[in-house]
Parts: sequence; C-alpha cells; structure tokens
Amino acid sequence: MICLGNFSAEIEIMKKLLLKKQIDAFRRKVAKTEHPRELVIDLLREIQDRNGWVSDEGVELAAQILGVTPIEVEEVATFYDKIYRQPVGRYPIHICDSICCWSRGGEEIANHLQQQLEIKLGETTTDGLFTLLPTCCLGGCGRAPSMMIGRRFYGNLSLAELDRIIEQLREEAKG
Amino acid sequence: MNSTPQLLFKNRVAGQTIFFKDYCKTGGYQALTKALKTMSPTEIVDVVKASGLRGRGGAGFSTGLKWSFFPADAPRPKYLVCNCDEMEPGTYKDGELLAADPHQLIEGMVLSAYALNADVGYIFIRYAYDQQLRNLQQAVAEAKKAGYLGKNILGSGFDFELHLHGSAGRYILGEETALLNGLEGKRPNPRLKPPFPAVRGLFGRPTTVNNVETIANIPHIINGGAEWFKDLARNPEGAGTKLFGLSGHLNCTECFELPVGIPLGELIEDYGGGVWKKRKFKACLPGGASTPYLTAEHLDIALDFDPLAKVGSRFGTAGVTVFDDHSCMLRATLNLLQFFARESCGWCTPCRDGLPLVCWLLEKIEKGEGTNEDLEMLKQQQQQITGRSFCALAEGAMGPLDGLLRLFEQEVIDHIQKGECPF
Amino acid sequence: MPTLTIDNRTVTVAEGASVLDAAVELGIVVPHYCYHQALGAVGACRQCAVTILEGSQKGLKMSCLVTAEDGMQVSTCDEESRSFRAQVGEWLMTNHPHDCPVCDEGGECQLQEMTIGSGHGIRRYRGNKRTHTNQDLGPFITQEMNRCIQCYRCVRAYKDYCGGEDFGVMGSRQRVFFGRFKEGPLESDFSGNLIDFCPTGVFTDKTSRFKTRYWDLQQAPSICPHCSLGCATLPGGRYQQLQRVRSGSNRLTNDSFICDRARFGSDWANHPQRPREARIDGEKAEFSVVLSQLEERLQSLVDTYGGETLRLLGSPRASFEANLLLKKLAVRFGAPTPCYDAHPRRAFAARAAGSIPSGQLASLQQLRASDLVLVAGVDPLAEAPVLALALRQVVRAGGRVVVLDPRPVELPCEFEHHSLTQEALLRGLSAPEENELLESLRQQLEAAHHPVLVGGGDLLGGAGLLLLRRFSESCCGDSDCLIFPVLHGPNSYGGGLLEEPGERQRDLLEDLENGKVRALICLEADPAIEHPDPGRMQLALARLDLLAVFDHLPTHSVAAANIFLPTRTLFECGGTYVNNEGRMQAFAPVIEPGIPLEVSGGGGHPLRQFDSGVPGSAPHSAIHLLQQLLKDRQDLFGLRRQIVEEIPCLRDLDRLEAGDSGRRMADCGESLEESRLEIWAQEGELRLLPVMARYGGDQYSRLSQPLASRLQQPCLWIHPLEAAERGFGEGQRVVLRTAVGHFRLSLSCKEKMVRGRVMLPCLPGTPLEVFTPGGLSIPCQLYAEDDNA
Ligand SMILES: Cc1cc2nc3c(=O)[nH]c(=O)nc-3n(C[C@H](O)[C@H](O)[C@H](O)COP(=O)(O)O)c2cc1C
Ligand code: SF4
Ligand code: SF4
Ligand code: SF4
Ligand code: FES
Ligand code: FES
Repeated sequence: MICLGNFSAEIEIMKKLLLKKQIDAFRRKVAKTEHPRELVIDLLREIQDRNGWVSDEGVELAAQILGVTPIEVEEVATFYDKIYRQPVGRYPIHICDSICCWSRGGEEIANHLQQQLEIKLGETTTDGLFTLLPTCCLGGCGRAPSMMIGRRFYGNLSLAELDRIIEQLREEAKG
Repeated sequence: MNSTPQLLFKNRVAGQTIFFKDYCKTGGYQALTKALKTMSPTEIVDVVKASGLRGRGGAGFSTGLKWSFFPADAPRPKYLVCNCDEMEPGTYKDGELLAADPHQLIEGMVLSAYALNADVGYIFIRYAYDQQLRNLQQAVAEAKKAGYLGKNILGSGFDFELHLHGSAGRYILGEETALLNGLEGKRPNPRLKPPFPAVRGLFGRPTTVNNVETIANIPHIINGGAEWFKDLARNPEGAGTKLFGLSGHLNCTECFELPVGIPLGELIEDYGGGVWKKRKFKACLPGGASTPYLTAEHLDIALDFDPLAKVGSRFGTAGVTVFDDHSCMLRATLNLLQFFARESCGWCTPCRDGLPLVCWLLEKIEKGEGTNEDLEMLKQQQQQITGRSFCALAEGAMGPLDGLLRLFEQEVIDHIQKGECPF
Repeated sequence: MPTLTIDNRTVTVAEGASVLDAAVELGIVVPHYCYHQALGAVGACRQCAVTILEGSQKGLKMSCLVTAEDGMQVSTCDEESRSFRAQVGEWLMTNHPHDCPVCDEGGECQLQEMTIGSGHGIRRYRGNKRTHTNQDLGPFITQEMNRCIQCYRCVRAYKDYCGGEDFGVMGSRQRVFFGRFKEGPLESDFSGNLIDFCPTGVFTDKTSRFKTRYWDLQQAPSICPHCSLGCATLPGGRYQQLQRVRSGSNRLTNDSFICDRARFGSDWANHPQRPREARIDGEKAEFSVVLSQLEERLQSLVDTYGGETLRLLGSPRASFEANLLLKKLAVRFGAPTPCYDAHPRRAFAARAAGSIPSGQLASLQQLRASDLVLVAGVDPLAEAPVLALALRQVVRAGGRVVVLDPRPVELPCEFEHHSLTQEALLRGLSAPEENELLESLRQQLEAAHHPVLVGGGDLLGGAGLLLLRRFSESCCGDSDCLIFPVLHGPNSYGGGLLEEPGERQRDLLEDLENGKVRALICLEADPAIEHPDPGRMQLALARLDLLAVFDHLPTHSVAAANIFLPTRTLFECGGTYVNNEGRMQAFAPVIEPGIPLEVSGGGGHPLRQFDSGVPGSAPHSAIHLLQQLLKDRQDLFGLRRQIVEEIPCLRDLDRLEAGDSGRRMADCGESLEESRLEIWAQEGELRLLPVMARYGGDQYSRLSQPLASRLQQPCLWIHPLEAAERGFGEGQRVVLRTAVGHFRLSLSCKEKMVRGRVMLPCLPGTPLEVFTPGGLSIPCQLYAEDDNA
C-alpha cells in the first residue's frame, strides 16, 4: 500500500515527477478502461521521459495512478531494460552488441566509446552526460554498426562519426 | 535492378514516409472499401487461405488456417493484435515497412479485423522503433479522420478501435503470449498453452496475433486475388513476396521485397552485391538469429519455409546475415547465445540457467581453454535444451548452436586443439 | 477414473489428475519444484519430465502438465527422461551456493532431496554464481536469495493464493528476485507460508532458525488451537521447547496453509510464567499430594453439602476427551453437568452449531468450491483467518463473497460489504422475507450452484445461528445451501455437544451468585475474564470455598485458585478437538513436558547445567489428571473406544489418527428450535461492541513473544462521520465510559464500519480485558480526554 506516514508530502514529491495535466490525463484513461494496468508501460515511459529515469517515487506514483500496489508496478518495470530504475546520464547510449553489428565492428565502437568517455559499460560519465549501456539488436541491422542515444537511432557508425556525435551532444548540453 | 512486383514496398522512397494522401494516390484503402462493400468476412478468410500466405513473424503458419480457427461469432470484445516487437537480431523488415508506409498496416488491420469480426486492435511496437511509432500515430489519426477507423467504417456497420502500444525493450515480448501479458501490463512471461490466444487471449478474450508484414499483405491479396498472390513466388510451394533484410558481411545491406523462393546465391550476389572486402561466403543465418546456419553448399536453395526446413534450417523472418570466410563461427555463435541468454524471461530452467551454461562453455572454448569434454557437454546441452523449454525462445537459441555443431564442428575442435582461436 | 501404467505399475487416479499426481500416488519419485498440489502446475522448472510411451501425446513431457489418460504408458526410468532430469538438476545447481552446512533448511530441503532424486551429482560448471543482496523482511522470515532456484512458488503462494500485496518477482533472465518493493516487514497475515512453500532455504523461519537441525527436531501432526477452524499443523521442538509450527496438510480444511497467528503465535507453550508446578493455597507441593488433597476436599464437600454445591467448567481450549471426562467427574460427585464455556452466549452458540445436521455443514474444502458465499457476522481475519484464504479462492475461481457485518471487515480479495448493526442483522435474519437485502441475497443464493452461508457465533449468538439455519433452508435451490459456523475456540463445537440439553442458556455466574455453590473446578478455563461480566465473576469466585484450576496458561483463575494442578499443552499430549464444522481431529504429542533446557540450562551454549526438576513434577495431561480422579487406568485409545461405546454418534473417534483428515461427527447435537428474538431498538445512542482483535485477542497467541510486533494496540474504532459529529478525529484521545469502568483510548477511524457504534478490539492481559467479544453491544459514552480532566 502506498499509505506511508505523510501522505500529502508524498503527493507533492510525486507531482514533481509528472505535470498535473499528464497525471490528470492518465487518471481519465484509468477511469475509462476496464483494465487500468494496461497503461503501466505508457505511464512509466512518460515518467522516464520527463525525469530521465524512474525513481522509487516514480514507481509509487504509477501505482497510485493505476490503483495498484508499488510492487505490481515494480514487477513490470524491472523486467524491461529500457525502463531505467537507476539514474542515467542525460544521454543514455545504447550500443548494439548483437550479431549484425558485431559482424561489422560493433565491438570497436563499444571500445572506442569507453575510451573516449573514460567509462566502462554500465557506467555514467562524471559530468552526468553519458551512460553506456550495451543493448541487443536495435532493428537497424542493415545500417550496422549502430547505436541509440535516448530514442534516436544512429547507424553506419565509424569511429570518426562517433566522435562527431559525442562532440555535438556535448555542445548541445552546454547550449 | 529489382524487377519483382513491389507490393509492400511499392511506395517506398528512401528516407521518406508516405502518409494518407500519397497512400490513397496509389490505391490505398481500395481493398478495404472493396471488401467492406462486397465481401463477407468468411470470404476474406477463404481468399487468404487460398493465397498460401504464411505468417511472416517467423513460424510460417498458414494465416488463413489460423484465422479459420478464430471464434468469429464469440461475443465481443475480440482482439486483433499486431506484433511489431521485431527484436530478433538480423530482422528489421517490419521497421523498414513502417518507416516507409504505415497506412498499409492500418488498412491491413481493419481488413483483418473485419475478416475475424474483431472489434479492438492493438499494434505493439518495440521501444527502438520510435519513428515508426510516431508514423503510426499520425496514420491512425488520419485514418480515423477519413472514416477508416472507428465506428461504422464506411457505413458498413463494422466498428474497429485501434490502439498503439509502445513497449520498453525485451525480445521475449515478440512471443505472442508474452506480448499479451505485456499489453495487459503484467510481467511478460509467456503463457501456458493451451488455452491458445484464439480461445483465451488478451484480457481472457479471443485474440489473434499476427506479424506486421503478414497483415500488410492482406490488402494486396484482396486487391490482386489469391491466385495472383500465390504466383508471385519463385518456387511452386511458395506464395507471395517477402521482405528480405540483408546484413553482415555484404557490400549492400538493405531490405528488399523479393519473391518467396529466390535462391540464396542470387540474393547475395544480385541484391547484397556479393560478400564484402572481396572475401568468400562462409555461412549465413537465413532468417534471423534463431535459424541454423546455411553454408556455401546451400547457395542454390530456394528461400522459403519448406525447402529450408528440409536442410535443417528455417526461413524465419528472412533476415539474412552473412558471414565471410574470415569469421570465427564459434565466436559468432557465442554472440548469438549471449543475446538469447540475456533476453531469457527467466521463467523456465533450460533457458534461464541452460543458456548461460552454454555461453560459459562456448566462451571457455573460444578462449582456447576448452577440452574435449567441454565439446561433449556442449553437444549434450544442445540436445537437452532443444524442444524442452517452456516457449520457443530457448528452442531458437539452439538454432545457431545446432548449426555450429553440425556444420562447423571442426572449427570447434581446432579451438580446443590449438588452445586459441584460429581466426 | 483413468487407469494408467507408470514403470510397469498400474494405478487408477481421479479424473483430471496429472501424470505427476499418479506417480506420487504410486510412490514413484518424480522430482518437481514449480508444481504444488495447492498451487497447480505452471510448467516452469521442467524438473518433472517423464517419457510417455502410449497416450495422446508421446515422448518426453512434463508430467505435471499432462493429464492422466486411460491406458497411458509412462516411463520414468528411460535414458531420455532420466538424463534430462539430471540435466535440470545441474542447471539449477549452477547458481545455487553450496552452503548447506550453514543453511537452516538443510535436512528438510526439497532441493537437496530432488537434486539427488534427479540423478545429478557432479557439478561441471566452474564459473561465477549470480548473487543478490537480501532484504530485511521483518521479524518472521529471513531471506537468502542466493539460494533461489526460481520455481516461482513463493509468489504464487504469497500473492496469488494468499492475496499478499507486498511481495513479488522482479527482474528477468537469470536475475529474478523475489521480495518486496522496499525492505520492511511482510504485511500479509499469511506471510509464514513462504517458509513452507519455498523448496529451498531462501525463506526460513527467523523465529526458530538455528535452534534445531531438522533431523534432531521432534515433530508430530497436530491441530491449531488458535481458533475454531482446526487447521492441520506440524509443530516441532526439542528439549521440552516448542520451536516452530509449520502447516500440516488437510485438503478438507486448511489444505497446506496456516495463518501467522498460528505459526508465530505458539510460543506461549514456552512462556516463562507458564505455571508448571502444583500448588495448594499458593504453596508449591508435589502433584500427587495436591491431587489427593483435591479429591479429599471434594469428597468431604459433597458429603457435607451435596453434589449440587459443586460446579465444573470445561472449555473450548481443552481436548474433547478431557471435557468428556469432566462430565464423568460431575457424575461421580453428583454435580450438575459442567458448563463448557464461561461465556453463556458463546456456549449457546456452540450448542446451536452442534444442532445443525452434519449434512448441512460445509467444510472449508466445500467452501472453497462455492460460487457464492454469504458471510453473516464474521470478521474472518480476526476470528478464523484461514477462512479469509478460502474466501479468496472462491473469488479467484470467479465466485462472489458478500459480507454482512458491522465491523470494518477486510479480506484479501474483492467482496461486497454491507455494513449493518448486529441488531439489524439479527432482526433481518429473524424475518428475512421482510428485509429487502436478505431477500435479494436469498434469491441469489438459491440460484447459485454451491451456495454457502458463513455465520459467526460471536456476533449472531446461538439464536442467530438457528435463524441462519432456517434462512439457509429457504435458500436451497437446486443444490443445498450449506452452513459454515464460526465459533471461538478449537473445541467449542465439542464442548457444545456435552452441554446439558434443555435449558437455553445457562449462566454459571447466576449459580455462583445465588450462594449455594461452594466449589468450582475449572478445566483449562479462565472464567475470571472469559465471562462477559468479569468483575462480578471475580467477586463470585472469591467467595467460593474451593476453586480448583487445571491449566497451563498463567491466568487470573490460576492465580486465584486454592488448588492448582498444571496440565500439559496440546504439544505435550494426545487428544482430540472438534472443529467448527463438527470434524473430530486428533493431535499427537510433539515434545516432552517440562522446563525447556534453554531455560533450565541458563541459555548458555553448550549446556553445562542439567536440571530435570523435581522428579514427578512434570505436568500430566488434563485427560490423565481427570482419569486419576476417576480411577480410570485406560490409555487414550481405550478411552476413545469406551467413549464410542457410550456415545454412538462419536463412532469414528477411535479411528482417528493424528495427521489424518479427521472425521465428521454424526448428528448428535440436541435439536434446538429457533425462537423469535427479542431485539430491542436503541435509537440515537452510541453503543459499544467489543470485538475480536486480529492479533492478541485469543488467550494463546497474546503470550507468544514472536507475535509482539503484530499485537493490536489498544484503541477504539469509530466511523469517521460519527467521530466528526462529535468533533473528534483520527488519533484523538478519548475517555470511554461504560458500566464496567472508564478507559482512556485513542480513536481509530474506520470508514467501512457501521455508524452508531464504537468498537473495541478486546485484549486479554491488558486493562481492556474486562471486555469480551461474543456478546451484544452495551451502552457507552465518549468524551474528549481533556474535557474529562
Ligand atoms: C522468442 C520469440 C520471439 C518472437 N518475436 C516475434 C516478433 O518480433 N515479431 C513477430 O511477428 N513474431 C514473433 N514471434 C512469433 C510470434 O510468437 C507469433 O508466432 C507471430 O507473431 C504470429 O504472427 P504470424 O502468424 O503473422 O507470423 C516470436 C516468437 C518467439 C518464440
Ligand atoms: S524459454 Fe523459458 S525462460 Fe526462455 S523465454 Fe521462454 S519461457 Fe522464458
Ligand atoms: S524464493 Fe524459493 S519459492 Fe521463491 S522462486 Fe526462489 S526457490 Fe522458489
Ligand atoms: S485459521 Fe485458525 S485454526 Fe487455522 S491456522 Fe489460523 S488460527 Fe489456526
Ligand atoms: S544487430 Fe545491431 S541493430 Fe540488429
Ligand atoms: S513440476 Fe512440472 S515443470 Fe515444474
């Protein structure tokens, strides 16, 4: 149950996670559907889009909106690898390590990124900009090697191209 | 260079998406109009059955036959679910199709739903297909506005409501019952069958799950007729065209719409531009990561379900990944197995604990630390996992392992004897 | 009923049984993890593979998923299935730590047994094992996730079967984790079942772990004494100490589940204040001396004043045999038939339940299979917890549960709650045809396939149960509407059968107060607080010439007794309880009586002091004690045989064995006619209804140390609107004034309870013990604390 001690304070924390109009829109959908749980991924995705990741409070908010318990949301949230239950950098980089990308230099891409960013797979740069995450096939096998930053796809990667992309994102972050 | 009649890719222009107006210009929604006005649902099912269309999601089950098992007269709601999880490495055809021409799928969905008398549809889209999801959102809005979706479509009295579901990553969601759990917001472990989705599917109601390409083919079959569709294939038992996604060590790694039954060699040479770096063809995955390898001796084989089954492989999704003669097939197989082990849903033992054990063995041998006992153990693992997992994921994982042990055993032995990777 | 052959042995099994069930029937070991009889088959672990040689599907199959067919031929010995099972064993062991020597499950671990059963021996995997960080799950259960083999039984038991909402499975692939969203005590009232259901040492009993290795543990099948349902249990202990309780298995009653009150509430047997020595007027004395003193004093009393001046009080806590012997003792001394509950209304409720023909009573098994259950006047989680589980199974299978009760009833499932006062409920039952709600429910029950009525003895009383019976008869459509009465003690029903027929409601207190009675014998009863008017009762007891008490709990009556004789607990002797549906169930001794070695040895390790106490001082069982007074030398079996000869309707008593599923009593209750109830209307006033507390409300579990964290804290329940009308809110400190005194309490607002009432969860052992559930509401007044000061 979500009722822990200070209820209204908690609601305040949660409201920071989504805009009121987003919460209201979900509440309306919940009221309309016979099976509110079907909205759980939509909701988690929206919380993640707004906050960069899904915190414990995010799970609790989702549970509250859907009228289920936090563990019921957590069971689902922890299954999917694109729901981040830990903080990630502003640009989570998913490097494809599946067969087609591997066959066309995916490992080099991954190594290069680790060197350039001075982090290992699974880590976040100290400036909080980048997190490196290996991922399975991104559906861009014809444009291997490939990666996805946030939800943006990058294919036919070369080392030079990679450096350019990273530089560009660093610039973007400054501006 | 491609002389095949283009159905699914007829509107495709690289780097562009065509929407409602352009889709209609080339005959879009005519099949739906025709069907709703002149055909009964059972007629559609019969045409699809006669067309010989087989599921494009990998299993290749006859679509018409599957539909004929659907309890069309059961009370509502009944669901039609389109599977666009497409997470099997080497497979990217559905993504290409939706990037180019999303309305085809919408038209196909309405037609299929009409044939099945289903009133609610879902299109399930993987996380990485963000562009495709947005294309579909626009297409759905357009179709609704034009009266092709919603209540009383084209005055036929048929209602169909279509939802889009963006997922959050995981290959197992492609398995149809796991997908249904995912749509319901439950943990997406596969379900025990029976009962099959046609009996108890989404929210416990009759449901049919079909692949994107399968459904996108329906308008073309309605327009062109069963005979025409069947004759598109190059081999006598085949039917229709197929989206072939090329990848790996080829000069050209693109997706082509080609006749079912096209020989492997022709695909590689004429469309893939031959093996890259002037190297030789060593092997390929003919239909995605779960299909056993083909080698140079198979270059003449017609790419279709039955001919491939005869040589111990599978047509799968027709995502063809080619390996040149510099490739270590043991290393490739390890990569594939790591994928499957990581994507296991964690429900059943052979997959959850067996696949990591296989990876451990492959890794050990690849590093040159393997023994003959390890090779024996690897063979045992392949035999014990095949056919004994809860769903077909682990079964699929055994495809490449089977290929490795059957076709490249000597390569494995070389690793053991040399104490290092020979490549 | 298909007949099939497994490994050349033939067996006939029930329709729908699986091949695995059939193998179990034959005693053929097919190792399995994810299948559990109570949870069903899900096909996850793949350990139970066999080869089907003949049948509609052939080849290697999971035996839990294949339905047994007539003429089927199955092999478990063939190389294919044998080697596959060994392979599954190897897979599961790749991540299991080899920590059996320090694992409390060791010796009773299904993973140990079944891994050996699978044929897997030598681990070939040499890589790293996956590890997890454990969670603190509170005072009852320790988690050691590294041992998990991912059979999913825990979630299926905790969440699916028991309806727990704070436990689940997280993650995927080889990293699935079974636990809570955040660390913290498990909330379910059935959390302890995790211990029984996990086949390995992930969830072990924090209250008993590392006390005794399984092979050193003394265990025997028993019956839970904490409420009237009589769930099967399997207690274990060593060195005179009761150390743990597990669920027994009885498909007719609790199946394989018990509540936490039973599991963690049995430490009372080791209570430091448990009276273990015989006493005369407060002085310790040898048992035999006290016994002969008692006999002499009784004899002289009877000789001087006549048997009429002696009263005997049995109890729902005492075994059926002991209660019956008490009746014989009454005969021997020419005293009137004993009372079997100090609470007259509860005693009558038990008699009323006993008067319902056996064929009209439902078992829990029948209840679980019902499609519509009407619960009238029961708060299951407080009065009969496993009933709440059974109701959940009704809902899971698509049935409905409707509750009529004034209390803020909670259940681990969806249900319909109609909140109405006790009086309104009784009035409705006495003329259901005039009550819209009851009439509509009657029609629904009539239309149901397997309707069941659950009735609470405490709330409805005997008169109400009789009305319920009449109502049930009006609900019988195509199928009978069965009744499931809920009483208050493990042997309430049995006591009810022994009561004097005739008189409707006898009150011991009236007898005591009219001054004629000079002596009272209490058998495992504490009239000083069990009677609804404890103040008057205590005065009356004080006036007696002789108060003799036989008990094992530190009660008021024990303290006040002139003669005290300690008795054994049910864990230390054999006996029988008759549960709420008239099922006779035997329990067997588990440990020896006497002071636990942990206490006499000063708690040190290793033990250096051995003190076996005064020879001969160990308590006798109540049965044996009474037999000595009756000069009866038979053993328990002889006694049961004799009982059966004397009372034919108890005919199966001598065939009982501890651990069996018990036997329904044949009809032998008196036939009681229902009569119109006089139910006075009380308009506009606030009344107090004392109710059963979920934890700490029964005489036993309140004395159990491990349950301390769950004990109900003193408070007063009120409807929020009722509170608001008086300017009160949640947590408000108030003074409750009643005829028995005034009490300072804080308010707890309960939206689902009826208006016009306040409710007090009764807590024996606290100042609130003057209130006992089981009666009607009483007048009261509420003041804010400071107004009063
Ligand atoms: C592990 C696994 C992954 C799958 N992934 C997909 C997928 O991404 N897309 C798809 O259409 N079918 C996938 N399938 C097959 C589906 O279960 C199902 O057979 C298919 O969607 C049916 O559609 P079709 O008959 O049109 O091919 C997968 C099956 C398995 C076992
Ligand atoms: S084979 Fe088993 S563990 Fe693997 S994905 Fe299927 S059900 Fe899950
Ligand atoms: S914790 Fe125990 S019951 Fe739960 S899955 Fe693991 S081994 Fe099975
Ligand atoms: S429901 Fe009653 S009899 Fe059953 S275990 Fe709980 S307290 Fe004991
Ligand atoms: S394998 Fe990398 S995108 Fe498909
Ligand atoms: S017991 Fe049959 S699969 Fe687990």
